[in-house]
Amino acid sequence: MTRLLHRTIQDAAHRQPDAIATRGLGGDRSYQQLVRRSGALARTLLERGLQRQARVAVLLDRGPRVPESFYGVLAAGGALVPIDPRSPAAQIERILEATGATHLVTEPKRAAGLGEIAARCHTLRHVIGVVDPIGDRSIASWTEVEAAETNDGLPDVPVLELDTAYILHTSGSTGTPKLIRHTHASAMAFVEWAVAAYDLGSEDRLSQHSSHHTCFATFDYYAAARAGASTVLFSPATLKLPGSLSLTIEREAISVWYSVPTALVQLLLRGALEERDLASLRWILFAGETFPRKHLERLRRRLPKARFSHVYGSTEVNVCTYYHLPDGEFPDPLPIGRPCEHTAAEVVDGDLEPVAAGASGELLIRGSTVMSGYWNDPDRNHTAFYRRPSGGGFEETYFRTGDQVQTLANGDLAFVARTDLQIKIRGHRVELGEVEAALLDLDEVEEAVAYSVSDGEASLSLRAAVVSRGATSADALRDRLRDLLPAYAVPESLEILDRLPRTPTGKVDRQSLSASGQIETREQKVAEP
Amino acid sequence: MTQPNRELEATILTFVHQELLPAEVTIDRDDDLLSDLLDSVAVLRLAGFVDETFGITTGPRDFVVENFQTTASLAQYVARTRASTR
Repeated sequence: MTRLLHRTIQDAAHRQPDAIATRGLGGDRSYQQLVRRSGALARTLLERGLQRQARVAVLLDRGPRVPESFYGVLAAGGALVPIDPRSPAAQIERILEATGATHLVTEPKRAAGLGEIAARCHTLRHVIGVVDPIGDRSIASWTEVEAAETNDGLPDVPVLELDTAYILHTSGSTGTPKLIRHTHASAMAFVEWAVAAYDLGSEDRLSQHSSHHTCFATFDYYAAARAGASTVLFSPATLKLPGSLSLTIEREAISVWYSVPTALVQLLLRGALEERDLASLRWILFAGETFPRKHLERLRRRLPKARFSHVYGSTEVNVCTYYHLPDGEFPDPLPIGRPCEHTAAEVVDGDLEPVAAGASGELLIRGSTVMSGYWNDPDRNHTAFYRRPSGGGFEETYFRTGDQVQTLANGDLAFVARTDLQIKIRGHRVELGEVEAALLDLDEVEEAVAYSVSDGEASLSLRAAVVSRGATSADALRDRLRDLLPAYAVPESLEILDRLPRTPTGKVDRQSLSASGQIETREQKVAEP
Repeated sequence: MTQPNRELEATILTFVHQELLPAEVTIDRDDDLLSDLLDSVAVLRLAGFVDETFGITTGPRDFVVENFQTTASLAQYVARTRASTR
């Protein structure tokens, strides 16, 4: 059996050709249609000279063309580079250049912005999905791609599971993006674990909430296809209005949800959940940051039939540990649980030696979902991996997560802190996570982030931003924090915002807060019921 | 067919142009606000603006695409809500 991502749709189309692969945004598409359309794109790429393992960037807004393009690139033997559709032009250019992409799959409305980018990206030779010319590049329209549809399935191109499947980028607001290379094998290891862990089947309907260029899409698309399930696509408008999002969950009878906690908090606070019947939801997976406990408790009461699963990982390792919440009470803080079956976890001290039982240290991960490395980045690869001799001249390779964890008495792992989220304020060590937890203990605080700002000299100042409900003031919140935190851990300034800045996956963007060092003042926000 | 609410629309359009859109962007009453023009923070600010300016309270059940899709639909929502609370 070959474990290739594009085989998942071929197998699903063989077993159940008329089963729906994607729902929403311009009509339902069956697995048979998905194979036809992906096959057409694959043939178009091959006709236009795609070499084995050449990089193909995909720059598309949300919609059914996204999975068609993903599978089309993979079936043609290319290495897929999905680009965040909200990227500024400079970021698009950096990614095209850094990956040396030869082909770009996009849509007509992008043509105007691509001319300048193409003028500087010399490796880029072919643009698929546009009508108007782009420099001297060869182009093909979507009409031409559709003309290549056949009933022959996907083209027969030799692909190994050790080949690159995709290169994902993280979008820090500063510096060069990290380009994370996964093989078909490392992606499929996660997919197969997920299908088993959540018992995904052809009746399931999975949400596609996070942007498709993130590792969340590995679950939303590929795990769904492996199970023959449907993926429900949301429009950008729906994603901005929680009341509409909850209605879509109800109408589409979504059964498995996966997102960052923030999306679920928005649904809870502004999604009119009391008016919705969301009994179809059987699993809710969340990852990426801490789920504020008061919100998690309320959401569980609101959705008594759903099971909740806290999954832990990063784009580099995909999911590596998981914790299914028990019925009733759950521990505080919420554990990240046990390593997945494909993963070994080790907790080490600063010298990379295992820590004593119960002590905290950095989490190292070894397993089949770990990335093969950062693209074209030997320096990052040198520090990201730790290699330990394992006998016979061989070695074991561990990914260094940079996360501080500890092993609890029952064997579960608990997250302690990001190594880089400990700061020193006037000589005192401050955990930004503890400051945030104290803020969230205040009833009127909905979301909170603590961050440090450099004064340009040697010292840091501690700041915080919150989203609050009801009338309150920054001074009032700071006063009350003084009862909860030592004086040095009370932020020197605190701002009340409409909403916290987020990275494309939805995590709080501390970097941009630190970098700008100043943020907008709060505007009136939507009144609570 | 409901009568267009020209005054409400003008007030909303002025706010959207002055506060939420880049200077070079000009839109009309029927332009889709949600797909590309406004991000989720801007949508929240817009909701806050209509609440404050028109004396209504937009709760979760009203915070939906149908009401916020265009300036015209938002003006209709405001007019409807004001009429029902008077």
